[in-house]
Amino acid sequence: MTERNVATAVSKYGLEVGKPGIKSVGPLAFGPEGILFVGDNAGAAIFAIDVGDADVGNDHREIKIENLATPLAAYLGCSRDDVLIRDMAVHPSSQNVYLAVMRSSGEAAIPVLIKVGADGNISDVSLEGVPFSQTLIEDAASEDDPRLVSRDQLRTVTVTDMCYVDGLLLVAGTSNEEFSSTLRRIPFPFTGKTLTNSLEIFHVSHGRYETAAPIRTFVPFANNTSLLASYTCTPVVQFSLSNLQAGTHVMGKTVAELGAHNRPLDIVSYVSGGEEYLLISNANHPLTKISCKELDQQGPLTEPDRSLDERRDGPLSPTVGPPRQELPHPGVRRLANLNGSHVLMLQEEEAGEIHLRSYDVATL
Amino acid sequence: MSKGRQLELEWSEHQGRNCLRVRGWTKTEIRELGGLAAAEFSQRLVVLPSELLESGVELGTVPAIAGRFEADEDSVCFLPRFPFLDGMGYSLLVGAATEDKGVNSREVWNLQRPTLEFAPATDVVAIYPSGNQIPVNQLKLYVHFSNPMSEGCVARAVQVRRADNNELLQGVFLTMEPELWDLKRRRLTLLLDPGRIKRGLVPNAEEGYPLIEGVPVIVTIATDFRDAAGRPLRASVERRYEIGPLVRAKVNPADWRCDSPAAGTTGQLTVEFNRPHDHALLQHSLWIYDAAGLALAGRGSVGSAERSWRFWPELPWAGGQHQVVIDPNLEDLAGNSLLRVFDRDIMKLEDAPNNVQQFALDFSCAPSPKPAHLGQKLSS
Repeated sequence: MTERNVATAVSKYGLEVGKPGIKSVGPLAFGPEGILFVGDNAGAAIFAIDVGDADVGNDHREIKIENLATPLAAYLGCSRDDVLIRDMAVHPSSQNVYLAVMRSSGEAAIPVLIKVGADGNISDVSLEGVPFSQTLIEDAASEDDPRLVSRDQLRTVTVTDMCYVDGLLLVAGTSNEEFSSTLRRIPFPFTGKTLTNSLEIFHVSHGRYETAAPIRTFVPFANNTSLLASYTCTPVVQFSLSNLQAGTHVMGKTVAELGAHNRPLDIVSYVSGGEEYLLISNANHPLTKISCKELDQQGPLTEPDRSLDERRDGPLSPTVGPPRQELPHPGVRRLANLNGSHVLMLQEEEAGEIHLRSYDVATL
Repeated sequence: MSKGRQLELEWSEHQGRNCLRVRGWTKTEIRELGGLAAAEFSQRLVVLPSELLESGVELGTVPAIAGRFEADEDSVCFLPRFPFLDGMGYSLLVGAATEDKGVNSREVWNLQRPTLEFAPATDVVAIYPSGNQIPVNQLKLYVHFSNPMSEGCVARAVQVRRADNNELLQGVFLTMEPELWDLKRRRLTLLLDPGRIKRGLVPNAEEGYPLIEGVPVIVTIATDFRDAAGRPLRASVERRYEIGPLVRAKVNPADWRCDSPAAGTTGQLTVEFNRPHDHALLQHSLWIYDAAGLALAGRGSVGSAERSWRFWPELPWAGGQHQVVIDPNLEDLAGNSLLRVFDRDIMKLEDAPNNVQQFALDFSCAPSPKPAHLGQKLSS
């Protein structure tokens, strides 16, 4: 990174050059001017790091690295089983791929930010002498809270996804105590003030049960006016971002439900043929494609729906919601928009066999 | 490459970091290596995990272990960017300056890192709820360990079986990635699949509740867990629960009982709940305030089976009015809070959410022991 760039990052975004004390790497998201947000669940913090990536991207670049754990294990000097990929993000201008990797676990665990270059070359982002700032994920009762029965700081929020939209870092997290749905909105540059929203939704099917749940993963779409969020208990819900006023309850529109034994893993948006689409990857269901146009036309699924009762004898394929297409790409764990023309997928076809592959949006 | 000479590999330290030291070079080799720039070393020497070589990986397709070489008078030291791992085998590949870089032109020298064996030393110290019965829509379990733990073991180390026929119950817990631990990695939160608990969701319709009312279960925490040092647990732990009916109502402090102490004593105050509450949230959800609204100094404690909360003041109770102030986010075992039912039936008026910031129970300390005045106060 040039001195001028460092000076810009320091003055414009309040970063300081030093060693971020990252204890773990988890969710990743790029912010303005290539600043990478890194969720550190072990340290209850989020770091903003200027990765100083000045490479020039290519709109038609493709990526295919089979058995990604093998070169990573070689680079990190460990067993393939000790390569734990937590998240993936693409640098907005260089299109280099950044991976949050934990090398090994327990006391031996080391957080690493891996950069995969255009030629497939693997390197790591130095975590010393880099411009960075950080904010704490505040939830634990303060140590001087008189109510604490135990002085142990047991309460945490585990960050599951992050996204930067117009000066705000949106953070989805799951509390290890109460079961709530809170989307944090953290202004960047970090000022120490966090605005939160409690998001409230109607769940689909019988139109009778209102409930909240932690958001697992989400993506902004429609020029950042909307958010599609997927919950730990499978409903997919749309919110208008303009409705997200701090501290208020927001009613989301449940637009789909993805079925039993399933967990949503990641969502990405892309444009093909002038239309915007969303891809949702799932733990146990196929990769799902939804058209944003049809999503907009879909009314909220709050009306009584007897279909579940009628189909009790057969498999309950989750067909409620807007039309959606199941794609054949197996084992998709993470998704990213590579360069507008390609979507990048981290695919685990067999246990431990992880591949990094890009797909032309026209083929999806 | 020098035929016939033996390289000696050993684990060593360099500036406080572990490194791989290689001796036994010929004088010509050490002179050559000593003159190499850092980038040129990678043309001659490569260190890789031995298991990758043994798996037949093509050398040209993988990078070398990140790190740098340093040569001194009689040895070359490899300093890895990430520390070597105990129990792993590492291989040094030595290429000749004049030969191609193909694998056949390289010597391979191996060295194993010692495996540090420790006897298991970690126990499960508690599982909550601690009572014998949980509702069929139980939402969470907490497992406390005596030492910090490694992540990633829940799927193989936690099981729920029917106590009557030993059948394994599938899909009881929501798979969380990452798992829900406290910062010290000593308390694990397990969520029973909320999609199977919430009415109207596909998982609930397809699979029903994760537990079955009237069918007792055995929860097993197996030794397959690993503590942060990689050791298994000293012993597996089992907990039997009877499975009771659904609990689907807001937590209501008006249903609690408050045995207030006599003024002038430091006797304990006991708040008895009408049903068990969430152990984790009880750690910081209740406190005592005096008539002036000041928090009393003292000590709180969660009672048996999470059915009560007790308080011991530091100073003797003053006479007159006090309040137990309750965090509205306190939940019962099924995730119902003072504010809302976990999955609210919008047709039931009694389940309408509360929109208040603070709940409090009034009680008064009389000069001599007698039943407390009890009332509920809701303030916006």
